[in-house]
Amino acid sequence: MGANKMDRKEQMLGYLFIVPAVVYMLIFIGYPIVYNWIVSFQDVTALTLGSDTRDFLGFANYKAIFADVTFRKALLHTFVYTVGCLVIQFSLGFLFAMFFAKKFTFSKPIRGFIVISWMLPVTVTALVFKFMFAEGNGIINAILLGLHIIDQPIGWLLNGNTAMLGLIIANSWVGIPFNMLLLTTGLNDISTDIYEAASIDGATGWQKFVRITVPLLKPTIMSVLVLGFVLTFKVFDLVYVMTGGGPVDATEVLSTYSYKLSFQLFHFGEGAAVANILFICLFLVALIYLKTISRDEMM
Amino acid sequence: MKRSLAVLTALAMTAGTLIGCGGSADTPAAEQPAQEQPAKEEQAPQAESTDTETAEAENSGAEGRTEITFWHYMSEDKEGKFVNEAVEEFNNSQDEIFVNAQYLPRAELMKQYTIGVVSGELPDCGMVDNPDHNSYASMGVFEDITDLYNSWDEANFMEGSINSCYYDGKLYGLPWGNNCLGLFYNKEMLDAAGVEVPTTWSELEAACEKLTTDSCKGLAISAIGNEEGTFQYMPWLLSSGGSVMDLTSEGSKESMTYLYNLIEKGYVSRECVNWTQADAEKQFAAGQAAMMINGPWQFSGLANDAPDLDYGVAKVPKADDGDYASVLGGENVAICTGANVEASWTFLTWITSKEKSQEICKSIGRFSPRADVNVQEMFEGDPLNSVFAEVMPNAQSRGPSPDWPEISAAIYTAQQEVFTGQKDVDTAMADAQAKIDAISQK
Repeated sequence: MGANKMDRKEQMLGYLFIVPAVVYMLIFIGYPIVYNWIVSFQDVTALTLGSDTRDFLGFANYKAIFADVTFRKALLHTFVYTVGCLVIQFSLGFLFAMFFAKKFTFSKPIRGFIVISWMLPVTVTALVFKFMFAEGNGIINAILLGLHIIDQPIGWLLNGNTAMLGLIIANSWVGIPFNMLLLTTGLNDISTDIYEAASIDGATGWQKFVRITVPLLKPTIMSVLVLGFVLTFKVFDLVYVMTGGGPVDATEVLSTYSYKLSFQLFHFGEGAAVANILFICLFLVALIYLKTISRDEMM
Repeated sequence: MKRSLAVLTALAMTAGTLIGCGGSADTPAAEQPAQEQPAKEEQAPQAESTDTETAEAENSGAEGRTEITFWHYMSEDKEGKFVNEAVEEFNNSQDEIFVNAQYLPRAELMKQYTIGVVSGELPDCGMVDNPDHNSYASMGVFEDITDLYNSWDEANFMEGSINSCYYDGKLYGLPWGNNCLGLFYNKEMLDAAGVEVPTTWSELEAACEKLTTDSCKGLAISAIGNEEGTFQYMPWLLSSGGSVMDLTSEGSKESMTYLYNLIEKGYVSRECVNWTQADAEKQFAAGQAAMMINGPWQFSGLANDAPDLDYGVAKVPKADDGDYASVLGGENVAICTGANVEASWTFLTWITSKEKSQEICKSIGRFSPRADVNVQEMFEGDPLNSVFAEVMPNAQSRGPSPDWPEISAAIYTAQQEVFTGQKDVDTAMADAQAKIDAISQK
């Protein structure tokens, strides 16, 4: 009985400790989200932004954006961009992680250098890549021309497809060290004993990788992929600085389109609706992630 | 319980990222004023040496004085320092009002106005790009100052400029400075190629042909997907008899076709669809373009980037059977809703008065929008500014219309579609016209 009372008291104390965090989240995260949902159901334009009475529109803003060609393109672009980035940065990040796990001379300083791209402000990265991809005097065209891989300079950021590729490459450059670091931590957690035992049993390198490394790394891989997805899906600064969503709308993604609708064209309701679609996509991914994690834990 | 906890966690994960997405864009706003503050304090001691009495007031900040904030987007390293000097002069000239000038990049400033309408956190007064003035007035960002203006005996502005401050028959601001576009040319390159300064489109094309080399384009323009792109396209559109309201007319299409040909022939870099006007200036300064279309606000930038560059300015070439045309650019200043109207009005009428307006406009590469300042006379004998001064009176304004941002979006999109080869001129212009028709029918 006494112990039980003690437990409850401790429990109360626990809640007390998380109160500041919860209040903070409600005010600074909960409120904007709720507000955004409300706005997305209202008629909010330049004329009604300041007024207290805005017409309730139901799903009209959502209907409008789904009828909008640019929005559908932006949705598709966002997925293409995210999947493209994930494939490149995860596979190369994994390779780097395995490579640096070998612990050769200078492996640590070199790994440190690679991480620099992750620490640079995204705006700087975007500007540097914008210069490098320039058609006339960009270094990438200069190298490709010099090696005779191409005979005409490519307008990297001037054509829809290559512009998207350019964005994916720039973002992967940032994302590779992020993937590498997380995977390295995971690799370090795998006991060397297991590998030794496998060697004694005569396992090949490939067998060790497929049977030991990957299964034991699965939780890390899952979180790397989900975190990578979330971080990539919500891209804004990189696209905004490198292409501004252009040329025309070839690299428009959900975040830049939402920004454009709200702050350049003053269709706040539709801008909010686009932001909410972005939110729903990420929310679903997060749910799937938690589901897989909890299933693994039960096993 | 466990399931709801999972949902909550998922919510928190995604929520954080969504907020972060907005938050990261906000940081410059939060940082800028913070950077501004120390700069202010550094300036204060300078004032001390000249006038000890006002210096005391400076040191104690704005104590005992009515403090107002003024937002502007004149970048700190260029025109901004002249704005700060003017504000300091105002602060020292009287002991009633203390103005805090805050610099924010243009796009950020515009966003903060929009947010301010909802949050109520607006400055006392601030700057706005003139084609956007109507939109922000319709949003309720600015105070109606019609009565104050009518009782101001120094109210004397050029018609096109003051018109951009009117929305729905009421006045929401005062013109701050005007600018327009001209053709900058590299004298050395033109001389070497034996080219005269082009005055018509045919001459321009011929000049480009001679000036374009492997490492240097004939002309640099900005055709970026925002207001700057539309601004730069306007002189061409107007010169061939085109109009914003009739993009499918022969004249409108002719101008777009002409520019597209310059790009196709390699005289203008296709890269221009990603270039701001500042980027075009960099190309010209670096000798990678023999000519550029730009405005007088680039003089200070050129002096920094290429102090030895010998360049001249001419009017934007006219269509072979058309007239010279230019577009009116510039900024207005306005008092924000719920601000200290009286103090702001005192400050704004001081800084837009005849004497101050002509002084500050000259130093920031603008032309005074006041009708009682004769800019032609003022810049007589100045080979660069006089060209712009001559063009200024006939420069056409954009709008004024609260729908201008959408009209502008239709135009710069069409330009980008044509320049990147996604649509031919006819289709792109017809599509843009359809968008503009839809806007006006709303």
